[in-house]
Amino acid sequence: MVMACAPLLLAACATSWEPAPDEPVVETRVRQPAQQDSAGTQVYPLRNPAVMELLTTAGAAEQRGDYEQAAALLERALRIQPRNPEVLQQMAEVQLHVRDYQQALNFAVRSYDVGPRVGEICSRNWRTISVAREYLGDRSGAAEAERRAGACMSTKPPSL
Amino acid sequence: MARQRKKKTPKKGRRKAASTRRWPARLWRVFLLLFGIAAGLLIPWVLYLDYQVTSEFEGRKWDLPSRVYARALEVYPGALLTPPDLAVELQAAGYHEAAQVSRPGQYRLAGDRAEVFRRAFRFQDGEVAPLHLRIRFAGQVVQSLANVANGESLDLVRLEPAEIASIYPLQKEDRTLVRIEEVPPLLVTGLQAVEDRNFKHHPGIDLHGIARAAWANLRAGRAVQGGSTLTQQLVKNFFLTQDRTVIRKVNEALMALLLELNYDKAEILEAYLNEVFLGQQGAYAVHGFGRASEFYFDEPVARLRPHQVALLIGLVKGPSYYNPRRHPERARQRRDLVLAAFEETGLLTPEQARAAAARGLGVTDSPRHRGSRYHAFVDLVQRQLAQVYAEEDLRTEGLRIFTTLSPSEQEKAQRAVTQGLDDLAQRGLPETLQGALVMADIASGEVRALVGDRDASRRGFNRAIHGRRQIGSVIKPLVYLLALEHSDDYNLLTPIEDEPITLRQPDGSTWSPDNYDGRSHGTVTLLEALTRSYNQATVRLGLNIGVSHLVNRLTQLGVSAEVDAVPSAFLGAVELTPLEVTQIYQSIAGSGFSVPLRSVIAVETAEGEELMRYPLRMMPQPRREAISVLNYALTRVVEDGTARALPGLLGKSVTLAGKTGTTNDRRDSWFVGYTRNRVAVAWVGEDDYSPAGVTGSNAAMRVWARLFRDLPIESVDLRVPDGAFYLWVDAASGRLSAEGCPGAVQIPYVDGSEPRDMTACGATALDRDKESLWKKWFGKDD
Repeated sequence: MVMACAPLLLAACATSWEPAPDEPVVETRVRQPAQQDSAGTQVYPLRNPAVMELLTTAGAAEQRGDYEQAAALLERALRIQPRNPEVLQQMAEVQLHVRDYQQALNFAVRSYDVGPRVGEICSRNWRTISVAREYLGDRSGAAEAERRAGACMSTKPPSL
Repeated sequence: MARQRKKKTPKKGRRKAASTRRWPARLWRVFLLLFGIAAGLLIPWVLYLDYQVTSEFEGRKWDLPSRVYARALEVYPGALLTPPDLAVELQAAGYHEAAQVSRPGQYRLAGDRAEVFRRAFRFQDGEVAPLHLRIRFAGQVVQSLANVANGESLDLVRLEPAEIASIYPLQKEDRTLVRIEEVPPLLVTGLQAVEDRNFKHHPGIDLHGIARAAWANLRAGRAVQGGSTLTQQLVKNFFLTQDRTVIRKVNEALMALLLELNYDKAEILEAYLNEVFLGQQGAYAVHGFGRASEFYFDEPVARLRPHQVALLIGLVKGPSYYNPRRHPERARQRRDLVLAAFEETGLLTPEQARAAAARGLGVTDSPRHRGSRYHAFVDLVQRQLAQVYAEEDLRTEGLRIFTTLSPSEQEKAQRAVTQGLDDLAQRGLPETLQGALVMADIASGEVRALVGDRDASRRGFNRAIHGRRQIGSVIKPLVYLLALEHSDDYNLLTPIEDEPITLRQPDGSTWSPDNYDGRSHGTVTLLEALTRSYNQATVRLGLNIGVSHLVNRLTQLGVSAEVDAVPSAFLGAVELTPLEVTQIYQSIAGSGFSVPLRSVIAVETAEGEELMRYPLRMMPQPRREAISVLNYALTRVVEDGTARALPGLLGKSVTLAGKTGTTNDRRDSWFVGYTRNRVAVAWVGEDDYSPAGVTGSNAAMRVWARLFRDLPIESVDLRVPDGAFYLWVDAASGRLSAEGCPGAVQIPYVDGSEPRDMTACGATALDRDKESLWKKWFGKDD
């Protein structure tokens, strides 16, 4: 248990596998490490202003904890660009917030499949997958995902 | 009541007979007696009426039909949208074309520009204000958007969704509730001026009014005026009685008095505004000014102008006699009479009244289209909602239901079926053919269009949802998918045998499937067998995999129907509906991310409180790398397989994927096809299962092509996930080759299924590559 908990925040460890309501998993375990990993090398898809607007509004909704609104806005963005890895990843993170780990996993996998498979977004994909698998009880899968997150910065994108 | 009366009458008789008293005393006693009897009768009767009228009034929860909305069109620079499609969407939402766009609800098209004045609308995530916007198109794409008021450019605008249907209460009343504070003041005062001038002061009945009416009727020699107060009219409407017996009249008057004792004038008037009968739309009675305003003017009541208010008030007297659509002249006279009353009572100045009388009636040609065009899709909506809501709630709670329908795509889909089948009849196929079509957005699973009959107006058997038919070769891709998942044994160029085969059936009989062209083709590749839809090769392949795996996969992909695990299942001896087939192919077209098909996104109460949301949820299928390889193979069906006529029918050169399906004796024709974002399934056949002479490519594919000819198409997404890759191989031998080598093609492989042997040309090329890499890493001269 202690070993398995090591990658978790201590607060969460002390109580249960469920994160405390205000545990910032998305920030501390997905976004910040991914940003540190990326160290400037970012592969971003072309941006559509309509999608950008929805992403920004969804981000604001997420900030104030209105995850339902954030998800609805991201869904609108996905109707416009169903394969936008950034939107899919943000949706995965919103699912982490509401602790729907299965959907978090699924959206992150989809984001990875259609995304650049390298750079910051790749790292966020795998870190989300790792956290989700951990909460779903798949510890070895979580560790593997963590390893893949680390590799996002060194592998070159697979050619089509 | 009646029983009580009978009991007392005999008592009275006995007393009368026993009486021997003197006159004045007797008179007094008789008077007291009668008074007692009257009070004894009247008090319970009044209490009873009071109970009735208050319970009716307070328990009054009008049954409100649920409103069903299409998906809201998102307009943004880069959106695939043409001006004609925009017009279809706007008309469906009840917008009117105008030479000068000045009010919400109007639009104008001019070449590559459009102007739209969006009305205010309450979406499931909040209310938007009216917005006057200008759209510029560049070909089939929106180029830019701007707010006309301030000239600012806009990134994204959500248009008001079309109201596509109402789910009505069983007693067939249509109604939109209004509050007294939201209606124009002229409606409130004008109604009194015309129907009941003394409303503010009378206690429920108006003796002056009755006298005045009687006098007027006497002078005219016939009934020209009614003395009923608004309160009495309301009572009459509440209890749905039209008979004119004296007892009724007395009861009505009593109840009106009681209503006034219990409630204030505003409450009574508000109830009246919502209750009064104002028109008829087909089988549905239009009640209340809220709905009447939408029904006649396509406007919310709050925005009505004096001439429109006058018309509606005039209708109270006789909605059918003064029907402004059927009898415009009568309606006009009546309206002008009402305007005169407005003027006479000082509600309008003479100038205002004259200006209003100078206006046309202002009614729309026909009430906004509801239900008729979209009922096939609404069937699906009701089916999805029936899992959560009782039918009664849908009919009476005034829910607002946000759906996924695209009005412009629905119109094209219906046209594709109707005209497509007419066209097939011209080509010699039966005129009795029926068809169905389902189209969904791949990534979201949202159903955009659904057609269940060649005749859009016929409401009956919905073939898209309930037409369970054998699917024939449409099932084959799943057999090949299962094979591709066995990456140790199969890739797209693995040779298999297309040779006769005879199987013993569970019932002892034998089964020897034939190929469509009646021939066997010997050794073929997996890819050929799929793209040309060879039956014998498919059955042989399927037997290596096992029919139970096929049945399991169908279940996994959301098919709930019972499927027999017999070898004929490999050739599609499985009965599914077009909707179920769409669900299966959503998964394939969506690169293995399954999404349950949805027609409803959200449901909220009439007040805007969210009841239910159906969020996007995806389920990744295992072995998505094999699905991506299958995707490629299905584009080859269109390129050089059984659907190779499709690009010609479409007149577009894009990469599409698809599969034809034909059943025994040509009873059913199927075509499933997808682009980057849309998957659609078309079915054609006879309702009575008789041989129809149809094949996948001669019937359903033509219907499918008619639809996609009219849609913007983007090529299929052929990117493969981790665990699959494209390789240059020699098409004939299946060996590794290289770009530029003779016979070399680029084909996707599941990791582990790739060939090991190499053609001579490929080997040379590989050496060259190695050398060049060596140079790249260590050499200076590259």
